[in-house]
Amino acid sequence: MRRLPGYAFLTIAAIVSVFPLYYMVVSATNTSADVLNSRMLPGNNLWQNWADLTGAQNVASAMYYSMVNAVATTVLSLIVCSIAGYGFEVYHSRGKDRVMSVLLLAMMIPFAATMIPLFQMFAQFGLVNSTVAVILPAIATPFLVLLFRQSARSFPHEIIDAARMDGLSELAIFWRIFLPTMKSTYAAAAVITFMTAWNNFLWPKVILVSNTYQTMPMLLSNLRAGYVTNYGSLMLGVLIASVPTMVLFLVLQRSFAEGITGAIK
Amino acid sequence: MNRFSKMAALAVTALLSVGMAACSGGATATSPAATSATSTGPKSGKLTVWAWDPTFNIYAMKEAEKIYQKDNPGFSLEIVETPWDDLQTKLTTLAQSKETKQLPDIFLMQNNAFQKNVINYPDLFSDYAKSGVDFSQFPAGVTAYSTVDNKNYGLPFDNGTAIQALRTDVIKEAGYTMADFTDITWSDFLTKAKAVKAKTGKALLSGQAGSSDLIMMMLQSAGASLFDAEGKPTITNNPALLKSIDVYKQLVDAKVLTEVNSWDEYIGTFVNGTVAGTINGVWIMGSIQTAKDQSGKWQITNLPKLDGVEGATNYSANGGSSWAISSNANYDLAADFLNKTFAGSKPLYETILPSSGAVANWLPMADSTVYSQPQKFFGDQPVFSKVIEFSKQVPKNNTGAYYYEGRDAVSAAITKILNGTDPNTALDEAQKNVEFAMR
Amino acid sequence: MSLTLARPKQTGSGRDRRIRLEQGRNLTGWLFLIPAALLIGWMSFWPMFQAFVLSLQTGRGTRLNWAQPLWYNYQRLFSDDIFKLTLENTLIYLVVQVPIMLILALILANLLNDRNLRFKGLWRTAIFLPCAVSLVSYSLVFRTMFATDGLINDMLLGLHLVDSPVNWLGETATARAVIIIGLLWRWTGYNMVFYLAALQNLDYSTIEAAKIDGAGSFRTFWHVTVPQLKPMILLTAIMSTNGTIQLFDESWNLTQGGPAYTSMSMSHYLFELSFQKNPNFGYAAALSYAILIIVALLAAIQMKVGDKRD
Repeated sequence: MRRLPGYAFLTIAAIVSVFPLYYMVVSATNTSADVLNSRMLPGNNLWQNWADLTGAQNVASAMYYSMVNAVATTVLSLIVCSIAGYGFEVYHSRGKDRVMSVLLLAMMIPFAATMIPLFQMFAQFGLVNSTVAVILPAIATPFLVLLFRQSARSFPHEIIDAARMDGLSELAIFWRIFLPTMKSTYAAAAVITFMTAWNNFLWPKVILVSNTYQTMPMLLSNLRAGYVTNYGSLMLGVLIASVPTMVLFLVLQRSFAEGITGAIK
Repeated sequence: MNRFSKMAALAVTALLSVGMAACSGGATATSPAATSATSTGPKSGKLTVWAWDPTFNIYAMKEAEKIYQKDNPGFSLEIVETPWDDLQTKLTTLAQSKETKQLPDIFLMQNNAFQKNVINYPDLFSDYAKSGVDFSQFPAGVTAYSTVDNKNYGLPFDNGTAIQALRTDVIKEAGYTMADFTDITWSDFLTKAKAVKAKTGKALLSGQAGSSDLIMMMLQSAGASLFDAEGKPTITNNPALLKSIDVYKQLVDAKVLTEVNSWDEYIGTFVNGTVAGTINGVWIMGSIQTAKDQSGKWQITNLPKLDGVEGATNYSANGGSSWAISSNANYDLAADFLNKTFAGSKPLYETILPSSGAVANWLPMADSTVYSQPQKFFGDQPVFSKVIEFSKQVPKNNTGAYYYEGRDAVSAAITKILNGTDPNTALDEAQKNVEFAMR
Repeated sequence: MSLTLARPKQTGSGRDRRIRLEQGRNLTGWLFLIPAALLIGWMSFWPMFQAFVLSLQTGRGTRLNWAQPLWYNYQRLFSDDIFKLTLENTLIYLVVQVPIMLILALILANLLNDRNLRFKGLWRTAIFLPCAVSLVSYSLVFRTMFATDGLINDMLLGLHLVDSPVNWLGETATARAVIIIGLLWRWTGYNMVFYLAALQNLDYSTIEAAKIDGAGSFRTFWHVTVPQLKPMILLTAIMSTNGTIQLFDESWNLTQGGPAYTSMSMSHYLFELSFQKNPNFGYAAALSYAILIIVALLAAIQMKVGDKRD
């Protein structure tokens, strides 16, 4: 009974969160005209929308390349940024704090401003239109480094000292003790990084000049570019594009939300 | 540690090379490449094209490829689907970073954007001087968009001629036919629209709030523009503009023009039947036709003209796009291809018309039988040949490099005027904003 | 780089060995940072430097010259009415949206952290789902929902909360409200994820101790949980401030900056200056630095206030 306001609050939050998505799902089964009419009930246009969508765009290829980009970015990102965050926190010094503050500046400038010099750089390396170019700028973000640094604050240093006394090298401490313990942070970081990489639009759009490596956001943008937009198949495309992030979240959510409390011992 | 040293090496190289590039930056613009198009015998090769809309532009390109391949079997096209906004971003990025080697051979460009791009980034384009294309076969009003310093940079394709499309069944209830809306003035339109509204409860027009499209169309119909021939803003002291805004306000106040807040909503108004007509470029027909239950109930005619304004006509345009040849192109092949298809092939235009509604700008199509076919959706009117006739009479209009600034400033002014600000004050402010942006 | 003081090499003494060990460890610490720092330096700082150089130049397209005086573009910002309007809009979004969102996320995370709660997975998934949808897509859905004849108005009319449809996207105050609602919807779940993760690393015994002492759930939350979450709260505050000041997609897709620039964000204006209007990259670069300065100032204040190490 005491928990009733809690449950009520959660229910409202859940409904508000899910409602627009319900509308999206329903729209994916309706005709374009019905979607414009804000029809709330499912229709039976799903197969037609699917046919229109796949007929107009190469969905499988875009999903594949989006997946490659997102997975590669996530894996590399987690490694590079977590070890950096660990380094900032566990080997703390005033110098490192200053470096962290400087690095933070990098995320404070709008990407539109640095996009062109960045493009020029990649063009000069002959990397235009490559997967490498899509992934490389996204691997190290000050945000992720900061996340791991802040999370490492709650990692007790006594364990590190104990491990050192046991003769473990610094890298081994990171790899064998820190990493498994901070599973919740890694899981959260994985979901967030994957989601950002998956939805990344501006940079891939500029660096990819042919449609070979086209990603899902670019595909969705194509769907809206004509004189006549088929809203039903657009919503279906949006739905399909949202699935991988949702699946990843479902799989990982236990790790960061129901982890082993006090697992540090 | 291999990764680190490799990265360090890359970093140093990057710094050096970008440093060198920065030093050589700021070079004056080179004139666009233009080699002559000599042609003997079948041509072969591959061209890349950047364009948007698979059902319209890209479809037309594919058909053009087929036609050209009949005489030139070694020819092929690689079409990269790129939405206009993204295309503009890419062009700007390539030009600004001086990487024009990444350009395709041909790209599509909105008519309104030509001036801005050619003036600022001439390095992107090749002109059509040596292409052999006969530009007299296109309406002067349209080629003007892509003409800079008397050189042509665009081959008009997608027709933006404006039409007035109305629901014949709705206006019939008020006792009107299409003839009552043809060759009329705006004050006449207002009277009749009010009568239709009173009788049926439906507005005859709709538009996006804060969008100046309709007013721009009215402005152009009187041969007036937001900029003069030298590119200076003429937003104040512009009687045609004042009159257009006044007409627009009257339409909104009388509730015969419904204002909505997004493009999708705008399309929704006539697809759902809440509004019984629209005025826009001919390309709007595609959207109208998605309302399959309204087949046979629509017809088109020309626009009303502005009362009391010198040079007023019943014709205008909105949008439309043209093919540009890039500076990086296989010029001979691209020019010959475009000349033989979009500037020379009746069968091409006749093929693409029925399935995509892609209306040409190419004047010889006016006599084509396919173009004169009655269209069932539009009450058996030969709408396409009508549109070609209209397009011959569309007045020219100055866009200039600051077109988007001007258009947006006027949009903001219109929003204020509709909320009660005095028109002259609002337009003064708009002019000031544009002059500021031009500094 | 500040390594610990070097000492003359002396053999044997335990203190010296410890110092050398610490030096070694400090060096390792720096080595751990290098991949990330190098990548950020190369991918971000080099282009940022070039953008700064650009901000000192005037001209259109690629015909750029040094500005007279050098800070001309920055000066121009002060007389740019549209910039001032976008600044006002962005600050409004910051001040209204960020605190509400973070508090909501905290409360939700705390509720979901309860061991005895049922259907936890369901709530969590539901609240996170908005993040899975791309920004462009959700803007389209919201635009349709807040249309004059859209769902929201239909519901409000049906519940007799209003007499006539609200012109959500056509009036300044409501257009801004729609953006704020959109931001709340989209990003609350995102921040909730971080708080959930952080709550897992809490020492549950402290909460148990409080409960044993008889503290109610609110007081436990406020006096025990929140202080321990400070590092994560600081992180999300900095991130949300950064994200909101740099807001782009919602302004671009949801309201298109309307009506008449009154809901346009600074980044949206920046994009317009670069890619839509007549390209004025020097000025755009100056604008981007203005944004950076604002975010950096706010972040510095937040770090000063909240970044305490124990």
